[in-house]
Amino acid sequence: MPRIVNRVLVWVALGLTFVVFVFPLYYLVATSLKTKAELFQAVPTLYPHDPTLAPYFSVLITRGFLGLLVNSIIVGVSATAIALVVAFAICYPITRLPVRRGTRNFVLNWALSLRFLPPIAVVIPYFTIVRTIGLYNQIPALVIVYTIFNLPLAIWMLKGFLEQIPAEVEEAALVDGGTRFQAFRHVLLPLASTGVLAAGVIVFAFDWAEFLFAFILTATPQSMTFPVGVQGLVTQFEIIWNDMAAGGVIAIVIPLAMMLLARRYVLTGLTFGVIREK
Amino acid sequence: MGSGGAMGAAEAAPPPPGPFGLTGRIRRNWSARSGQERLGLRLLLPVFGVVFVIATIPFILAVVRAVTSDSGAFVGFDNFSRALGNQQLYESLKETAIYGTVVLPTEILLGLGIALLVHRTIHSPILRAIIYVAAMIPIVIPQVAMGVVFRLLYIPDYGLINALLGQTGHDQILWLSNPPLAIFAVASVDIWQWTPFVYLVMFAGLQTVPPESVEAAQLEGAGSWAQFRHIELPYLRPLLLLVIFFRLADVLRVFDHVYVLTGGGPGRTTEFLSLYIYRIAFRFFDLGQASALAVIVMAFMIALYTVISRFLPAETS
Repeated sequence: MPRIVNRVLVWVALGLTFVVFVFPLYYLVATSLKTKAELFQAVPTLYPHDPTLAPYFSVLITRGFLGLLVNSIIVGVSATAIALVVAFAICYPITRLPVRRGTRNFVLNWALSLRFLPPIAVVIPYFTIVRTIGLYNQIPALVIVYTIFNLPLAIWMLKGFLEQIPAEVEEAALVDGGTRFQAFRHVLLPLASTGVLAAGVIVFAFDWAEFLFAFILTATPQSMTFPVGVQGLVTQFEIIWNDMAAGGVIAIVIPLAMMLLARRYVLTGLTFGVIREK
Repeated sequence: MGSGGAMGAAEAAPPPPGPFGLTGRIRRNWSARSGQERLGLRLLLPVFGVVFVIATIPFILAVVRAVTSDSGAFVGFDNFSRALGNQQLYESLKETAIYGTVVLPTEILLGLGIALLVHRTIHSPILRAIIYVAAMIPIVIPQVAMGVVFRLLYIPDYGLINALLGQTGHDQILWLSNPPLAIFAVASVDIWQWTPFVYLVMFAGLQTVPPESVEAAQLEGAGSWAQFRHIELPYLRPLLLLVIFFRLADVLRVFDHVYVLTGGGPGRTTEFLSLYIYRIAFRFFDLGQASALAVIVMAFMIALYTVISRFLPAETS
């Protein structure tokens, strides 16, 4: 009998935890679908009585956030692509060629240590550099900064994936008379593509979410990213909750969709390869 | 070539010398290296060199800025003494410490607890997969969006919690503008977002515990607690350290969701270290003092990293 009581208690505890974790997100989505009239009811409603997509239209078109969305995507895609290429160029020699252990560990430790420095510590020099070279309020400034900051993650993820590909597959190509480049291009790259894609998705999600640098290095909608816009919505137009919520939903949906694509690798990436998924 | 012999040669190499002695060695031994190894270094060094320089310059500039005045004159430790003499720094450190002490133990205990519960009671692979994906959702949500989510719950009048309190005839709770509460409101966002991360790491750790040792312990009549303490905890210890280190580094960089929720207020009660440095730099434009603070933070993180990285699960094999 106590066993059953125990089980029920456990399920109740887990169920409650689940509700606590899911409810805030539900409420965000619900609010984003409310009409203006519903917003001004004395008591906020738990679900939209008259669901509408108007807040999304209002945020993206009327307030011009579509431009910020485009900025975010341009910054994210470029920074991700550059980070992946650079990370690949660094990971290929340290995983596929007999580079000494000391060199290899230096590169990897350097990358790891970069992950732990708070961005605020280098925000001032970046701000100064960007202003000096005339990139203030320009998209390329963000691309450079994001590339550097997500490089450690890209290096460690790619290193993990490349290590899992046995050296023999490339050697077979080399024995058959191919050059090292051909072996890389036609054997290794196709085998590593899943890993590269997973790393790309996760790096993009991080670029997408970045706020501090975008906040400091941009000033106008010309280069502002989406999270900076959402923050502006909160501090300036607090009263328009449905627009604010719609902005929040859009900011969440994109990394969420990408995470679902790469779900097997998110944890590996976040723990720098310490945790490997089945 | 690229046969297994090359890999063998790398393994037979003497134990890795320090990174700085290495540069001299590379020059001296260049011709002694195998063609494969030279190719590796030719590919690695230009790219890594450029990246290393680009990433390192800002740190050097931060140090330079910390010992100079606005006009660029060398001022020694003036900025440091101004930074360390500023009473507000200690208030900010205190708030950061409170935040860390609320957030870290809560996340670790909750995450570990849920991981144990799920590990012991839920065996259906489908349910486990659903929980796995659900736990990953908070991790990828931009923190600015988290700020928006929790505003909808905490703000007066329209905030759901206050609306429910109002409806049931209670007074509103000013979560975001009442000093002792604001820090917990802000901390709750962190807990909401990062407990699932702890859960995922701990759950993954529990899967590495050999079932035989658990069965052996159960046969000997070990209770739930003894099983955890003596069988499972040893497997989780390195992961716990990893989680503590990651979360500690993140507490020092907390910015986004606090900026959206309270902006560091009320007063300066949620002005954690990053927000404090931000204000000194970009509200007061005291770049010297802010750079000194940045250098102190860097030095602290390097020290912490050096100590803790020795205990992290080795991933260098």
